[in-house]
Amino acid sequence: MTQPTTQPASKYLVAIFTEDDQILSATKAVRGAGLPIYDCFTPYPVHGLEAAQGLPRSWITFATFGLAWTGFLVSLFLQGYTQAAVTPFLSGWPLNVGGKPFFPLTAFIPVLFELTVLFAGVGTAITLLFACRLFPGKKVHLTLPGVTDDRFALVLDPAAQGFDETRARGLFASHGAAEVTWVSPNA
Amino acid sequence: MSAPTSHLREPLVLGNPTLHDITEQVLVPMENKPTKMWYAAFLVSLSVLAIGFSAIGWQIYEGIGTWGLNKTIGWGFDITNFVFWVGIGHAGTLISAILFLFRQKWRTSINRSAEAMTLFAVICAALFPLIHMGRPWFGALWFAPVPNLRGPLWTNFRSPLIWDFFAISTYFTISAVFWFIGLIPDLATVRDRAKHPIRKLIYGALSLGWSGSNKHWVHYETVYMLLAGLSTPLVLSVHTIVSTDFATSVIPGWHTTIFPPYFVAGAIFSGFAMVLTLLIITRKVLNIEHLITMKHLENMALIITTTGMMVGLAYSTEFLMAWYSGSNYEGFTFINRAFGPMAWSYWIMFSCNVISPQVFWFKKMRTSIPVLFFMSLVVNVGMWFERFVIIVTSLHRDYLPSSWAEYHPTWVEATTFLGTFGLFFTLFLLFTRVLPVIAIAEVKAVAKFAQKKAAHGHHAGAPTLAHAPAAPEKGV
Repeated sequence: MTQPTTQPASKYLVAIFTEDDQILSATKAVRGAGLPIYDCFTPYPVHGLEAAQGLPRSWITFATFGLAWTGFLVSLFLQGYTQAAVTPFLSGWPLNVGGKPFFPLTAFIPVLFELTVLFAGVGTAITLLFACRLFPGKKVHLTLPGVTDDRFALVLDPAAQGFDETRARGLFASHGAAEVTWVSPNA
Repeated sequence: MSAPTSHLREPLVLGNPTLHDITEQVLVPMENKPTKMWYAAFLVSLSVLAIGFSAIGWQIYEGIGTWGLNKTIGWGFDITNFVFWVGIGHAGTLISAILFLFRQKWRTSINRSAEAMTLFAVICAALFPLIHMGRPWFGALWFAPVPNLRGPLWTNFRSPLIWDFFAISTYFTISAVFWFIGLIPDLATVRDRAKHPIRKLIYGALSLGWSGSNKHWVHYETVYMLLAGLSTPLVLSVHTIVSTDFATSVIPGWHTTIFPPYFVAGAIFSGFAMVLTLLIITRKVLNIEHLITMKHLENMALIITTTGMMVGLAYSTEFLMAWYSGSNYEGFTFINRAFGPMAWSYWIMFSCNVISPQVFWFKKMRTSIPVLFFMSLVVNVGMWFERFVIIVTSLHRDYLPSSWAEYHPTWVEATTFLGTFGLFFTLFLLFTRVLPVIAIAEVKAVAKFAQKKAAHGHHAGAPTLAHAPAAPEKGV
């Protein structure tokens, strides 16, 4: 998902900033000028940067909603089956506890709730790792020193349409870029 | 260039560190060799853990007949310790989830270590039901259907004990997931600073190739909020369900509808006390007193006082209901609790949990480190006694006076309990060595936001800020 739709660039133009305000205003300006933004890299989520960069809202909320219902239904089935069900394929053993009902929904609420949360929570975290393609052994695509410490990097994709190095450099400079370099992605 | 500060609100990060300073201050103690004090503490914890595990080994070999339980008092130290540790495990998720949803920015410096503490406390808690089985290896069979000729015989889902199993295991899993998701960006910071190839490899694998990409941050922030939203009802549900272990029974003193909120308040109360104990030591030892500031400690003291009064209200409500219900059994149980042969434990509980936290009404008291530290210990003693009082005093006077009994815990029970402290502190000390004890990325965002806000307030020319130092102009 981090790959642009056009040919992947062999090198990226990177502007390094030292303040989050700078990258925010620079990103707004660069996008306003129609230059192709590859991505921004920051040590912490900069408020408003996703809008400046034109990123859509995360779709993971929908996944969570589905996962929560999955957990709810699994739990309902698990409890119903183990406590009450006698079906042709899955024959349980209905437990008679003091003559109480075999399918007391109120008594199932705690486990219904817990499994709903369990499925939604664990599933959401796994969805995040999928959405961002994060896994053990993954190599960082672009080595940008300091972006996990105190640097903010705005990366342009020269292979995409509308790229103009002179204009980009001009905008970077006017927004206080500490450094502008070309960076090759890691193989 | 003098850094901007607000005179209206105490800053959450003192000394206006730069972003790089924050990285350094959190990670340098972790990257250096451990101090002598750390080694000493680790050695003590490990020895206590060894003693505890020997006791566990003995009771598994010999059987739980080594405990002081009898026919009347079937639950003693084991369940008391279980509820005690589960309660302590409540502060972490409360801090990371509920305070997050309420936009309480002061949580950022303390959430990481509080969450770690939660996980370790739940591990300690889970030990007790496992040991109580006598043959813990059957624990694995407990959830699977018991094989027999007729068909799968499953466990009873109408029992609060199985609700509890689901609540605790869900709580542990979600807390661990939440904790790990929060760690990913910080692990990437550790990875990028690592010099040794093995260190690089380990933290590289753990950080899952995190690059700080804003496309990832968008998903990340959404997921963090979703997990906070899911954990908030979860943390409240856990002790609610623990309380139903008692509340759904017919034992006078347990059969009470106020148990769920009463237990949740007590859990937060004891959890914050334990966070306070640990952080007062950690901030001193790791030299991060400007990141975990007096304001953090003070806020926790205020939460302790509030929840302490909630617990006090519950104690009085129990008495009122025992009288108002007109039930002789209820009435007797409560009179017996406060004035019977085990009254000493009731009054230890009452004075530790209700009376002593009142000292925090005075600012001088809640900003004094020795007082805070002492009080955090007092509260935990009190909360252990709360569970002991509820469990043992309700049981020791049975319906039939001929069954009345006393409970004398044995050395096996005492050393097992001691051993869980060894386990808890061993894990916590290891944590301070291998993972960043402070959520670096979150603290950076808060520090930056505060500095900017202070600067902005000055620009706006607010008269109350007239004496604030000049703010640097941003190149915007």
